[in-house]
Amino acid sequence: MSFDHFLHWLDATQFSAVMRESVWAEPIVETIHVLTLTLFLGFVLLLDLRLLDVVLRRKRVSEMFEQFNPWLFRGFAVMLVTGLLLFSADPVNFYSTLFFKLKMVMLVLAGVNVAFYHATIGKHIAEWDVAAVTPWKVKLCGVVSLVLWVGIVACGRGIAYALPPP
Amino acid sequence: MTSLKDLILAFCMWCNESYVGHTIRDSVWLFPFVEIFHLLALGVLGGCMLVLNMRLMGIGFRTDSVSDLARDLRPWIIGSIAVMLVSGFLLFSTEAVKMYGNWGFQVKMLFLVLSIVFTFTIHRRVTSHDGAAAGVRWTTALLSLAMWAMVGLGGRSLGYITTAASAVKP
Repeated sequence: MSFDHFLHWLDATQFSAVMRESVWAEPIVETIHVLTLTLFLGFVLLLDLRLLDVVLRRKRVSEMFEQFNPWLFRGFAVMLVTGLLLFSADPVNFYSTLFFKLKMVMLVLAGVNVAFYHATIGKHIAEWDVAAVTPWKVKLCGVVSLVLWVGIVACGRGIAYALPPP
Repeated sequence: MTSLKDLILAFCMWCNESYVGHTIRDSVWLFPFVEIFHLLALGVLGGCMLVLNMRLMGIGFRTDSVSDLARDLRPWIIGSIAVMLVSGFLLFSTEAVKMYGNWGFQVKMLFLVLSIVFTFTIHRRVTSHDGAAAGVRWTTALLSLAMWAMVGLGGRSLGYITTAASAVKP
């Protein structure tokens, strides 16, 4: 089954129809998706800004990860589930927009950035954890993450405007 | 006699007809562009408020004292509120008269005023020292979260509430 077939199959499911046609499903799910930006996006931005040495400098970076990670995972889980639900309401049209594809690419890149951090400079965190300034590689990861998440928010907003009117 | 209601309506009409209102309304991309700033600032403000209030309740970030955390986050809270207010006003100015008759918007503005006043008075006082009693800390944190949540929910409701077009005939 090609991806295109999958999109049309999903679009034809009763689940998709309920998401699309119910008066309350979409507003409720979208509200959860948007307001969870406070937990997920907010914590990501604070973490990135800490890597750039501009916020919460009192805290060690390892301490930031320890305390923020559990909440980041919870926030991401909510974003992922609600995002998939919103997508399933109108998969063919979502996928037809450039913004949706861009958003997915940037999400993958954000994941790659996290993996890159942990495979390289993050491994040696003990060496710079208490340093007055974070190494430039750490700052680079922070900037890349910031740029990607700003782009992901922008594309998310763009999808709503690029979708054909109902 | 001019009532407060008339004054507010006159202000909304002025916003609607202002240069800013016209420009954003007539552009395809300006409205979503401003919305992006509104959402990013939502992330920063909400994130800071969650961190600070969770610390206040003692359910996280306990390696920092309440007052240290409050001091570190204050510029970000003030900055993000400023971005929210400016971007929010720009969005409002494109459909100010419609918003005048939208009860979701009225709820949002009521809780926005309450939240801001609370943040810079009681919340600020309770978070400026570390000796507040558990009851005071929990009440302050929960009130702060609940009031800001109402602002967010009010904002989400705006697009779904259909205002009677007949209510206002400019």
